[in-house]
Amino acid sequence: MTEGFGLRSLHPIVILTYYAGGITFGMLLFHPYILLAGWVAAVIVNLHLDGGREWRRWSLAMLVGILLIAIMNPILSHRGRTVWFYWGDIPITMESVVYGLTLAMSMLNLLTFFVTYRLVMTEQKFLFLFSRVSPKAALVAMMAMGLVPRLRRRMQELMLIQRTRGVTVAEGSLARRARNGTRLVGTLLSWTLEDALQTADSMQARGYGTGARSSYLGFKFRGRDGATIAGFTVCAALLLTAWANGHGFMAIYPRLGTFSLSWGDGLALAAYIAFLILPLGWEWRDRRAWLITNYSE
Amino acid sequence: MAHYELQRVTFHYPEQTSPALENVSLSLRSGQFIVLCGPSGSGKSTLLRLLKREVSPGGRMSGGILLDGTPIQDWPARGLAAHVGMVMQNPDNQLVVDTVEHELAFGMENFGLERDMMRRRMAELAGFFGLEPLLSRKTDELSGGQKQTVNLAAVLMLQPRILLLDEPLAQLDPLAARELMGMIKRLNEEWGITVVMSEHRIDDLLPLADRVVRMDGGRVAFDGDARAFVLEAWNREDNAWTSVLPSITRWALEQVPPEEHPAPSLPPLTVKEARAWLDLANRTRTLGQQSTAAPSVEGEGRGAAQKLLAAQELFFAYDKRSPAVLRGLEWQLRRGDWAVLFGGNGSGKSTLLQLLAGLRPPQRGIVLWEGKPLGKMNAKERYSSIGYLAQNPVLHYAHDSLLEDMIHAAGRAGETDPPQAARKMAERFGIEALLRRHPHDMSGGEQQLGALALTLLGKPSLLLLDEPTKGLDPSAKRILGEHLRHIHKEGTTLAMATHDVEFAAAYATRCSLLFHGEIVADGDPENFFRGNLFYATPMHRLLALEEATNR
Repeated sequence: MTEGFGLRSLHPIVILTYYAGGITFGMLLFHPYILLAGWVAAVIVNLHLDGGREWRRWSLAMLVGILLIAIMNPILSHRGRTVWFYWGDIPITMESVVYGLTLAMSMLNLLTFFVTYRLVMTEQKFLFLFSRVSPKAALVAMMAMGLVPRLRRRMQELMLIQRTRGVTVAEGSLARRARNGTRLVGTLLSWTLEDALQTADSMQARGYGTGARSSYLGFKFRGRDGATIAGFTVCAALLLTAWANGHGFMAIYPRLGTFSLSWGDGLALAAYIAFLILPLGWEWRDRRAWLITNYSE
Repeated sequence: MAHYELQRVTFHYPEQTSPALENVSLSLRSGQFIVLCGPSGSGKSTLLRLLKREVSPGGRMSGGILLDGTPIQDWPARGLAAHVGMVMQNPDNQLVVDTVEHELAFGMENFGLERDMMRRRMAELAGFFGLEPLLSRKTDELSGGQKQTVNLAAVLMLQPRILLLDEPLAQLDPLAARELMGMIKRLNEEWGITVVMSEHRIDDLLPLADRVVRMDGGRVAFDGDARAFVLEAWNREDNAWTSVLPSITRWALEQVPPEEHPAPSLPPLTVKEARAWLDLANRTRTLGQQSTAAPSVEGEGRGAAQKLLAAQELFFAYDKRSPAVLRGLEWQLRRGDWAVLFGGNGSGKSTLLQLLAGLRPPQRGIVLWEGKPLGKMNAKERYSSIGYLAQNPVLHYAHDSLLEDMIHAAGRAGETDPPQAARKMAERFGIEALLRRHPHDMSGGEQQLGALALTLLGKPSLLLLDEPTKGLDPSAKRILGEHLRHIHKEGTTLAMATHDVEFAAAYATRCSLLFHGEIVADGDPENFFRGNLFYATPMHRLLALEEATNR
């Protein structure tokens, strides 16, 4: 399940469209059923990509977040006609409870969906998109990414050795620790800057700054990318048409409307889910190809 | 056809009265493998940097440097950058971006090459260097040898005709160095790339070199082929010259001087040639104890020597998931030892020293200091009785001048007059002139001596050294060795991890081999080396082969 397989094999532009669309639609639509269905779809995407490992890692944080939203909304907002009860002298309305739950659902939906972004949009793909916009900035980003682990490792080495000389942040008074800390950081920086001069030499020696740069990163726009984009466009057109005609969200304030889905809501729901699930078609297709390969052996 | 033509080049660094290069005239011919040698500060790096315009130092230059008949300042920027490639000493600092593939592509991107062209060159060179499995790796995770291979390949992506190498092997372990050297040789032989390479340790380079240029004080002191260089060095009878020669060459010439040999113009450069040299001279080989024998330990009963530090059943792993580095290791250091620890790259030598110094606690097992657990000692007492000198001496400095660092260390050791103690220590190591310098501005050898002085201010009774000779030229190595011998004589127990077999053979009283997380061989140097073919000096190799043929 690596690059070149299923959803991950798509062109960065397609992936960017997928996430931009998924997030936009997740924010446009505001109906508990639609959002619930969207969440289920997002979970399915998660399960397909890494068996839900990354999602489980975030689940506690997400749960706390949405509980907070669901609880805070009725306490802070008193809109709505139907007062259920008074908490002290705070009126708790049915509408604001439902609104809070829907908002929490919407957040959960977006977060769950976005968890997969990190799995699919690797640094390489991101830099490919980025270097289109600004090649210089992309190079700086790449250099920074190379520098961070180097700095961290050097700091560990430095702390290990300097401890034998009594320069440490682990013991002594607060002022002393602060002084030692600055000393360590200062040494790390002057050491690294000294070395950066050599890096600059190495860049110059390989012709940096002699003219326009090109980018090595390359992703081919294949047939499946075109097909996926076409699918996205159809789904988005349907969804936006429904949305523009007032479908896809539920009337909550001032008085709670009906939970039942109109035909337009149904259309929005179908288009939204189709949009989210569409790239999984490639996962299924590629998985089948694997099965066939394995059987025939 | 000459590539480079240096015409009476004299170069002054800014604010320096004596020139770094003086009247250097050289003509570097196409396709040659040229080795540039000479002591530190003799102008090797300056010369190489002047040949590469992009990294030329600022200063005053007179004379001219022509490349293919055109002065290098008249070359177009792109043409010149592509024509001449350069690899420098430090493997880390030449890496610019985060992954290997990007790093290799970096130069081609600078030239604005088409993607198809880039992929093609990438495919070719990754194949040549065997880098395919590493392409998607982070450069940070690679070993030193792999990093330097990536640096070399990244330079070759621009298809240079000339390769300038500024001590590319100095930071590598011997195995990685030999591998990289093999690749450089192949580039020279198979692709016809001109190679100009500076290096301190030229033992393995001499057999490859078409031409040796020795610099001394900014002047060209010798220019000729490798065998002529050997004879010149031998005839000069100057330690600065002979110490550069491969030890096997020195030994063979000591046995049969060129004037007594039937083929005096072909001095041996390798073990194989040394055998042939002696065979031809038809002399019985008498392997003396003179140079191989370790200095005898001052008549002490070895068995009765007191245990200073004992490691019992040490287990250590850096990570729960990564394999253990040390697996039930047992080792003792006795008072008065000068122990040397050998072992392959990543075998855990550094880790073991750090455990013994109390810098890291073992996951299992215990380190005993004079019978007491090391972990129970007060940290300050522990760090002052066990001195630890890291592989990278830069790590030992934290102040803006060597003097401040030394005063701080003396103060911590409880000296009543820290500046006085610091000066005395500096005098002892002959580094008074450096006291005002910023530690990062000193050369590798000076940093090493300074760090040693810093550590000794704590008056340790045990000194642990991690690869103290890495990157040092022969004379700096000799100075370090003599200082260590002095310290040892004064009663400090020494233990050092090293790859430098000859340094160990010259000084150590005990050798141990770390393999697979355990000590697999431990004994006095003579017995230790006699049993080995790989961890052995060339002379021991010769001897071992001899014994094998006699059996």
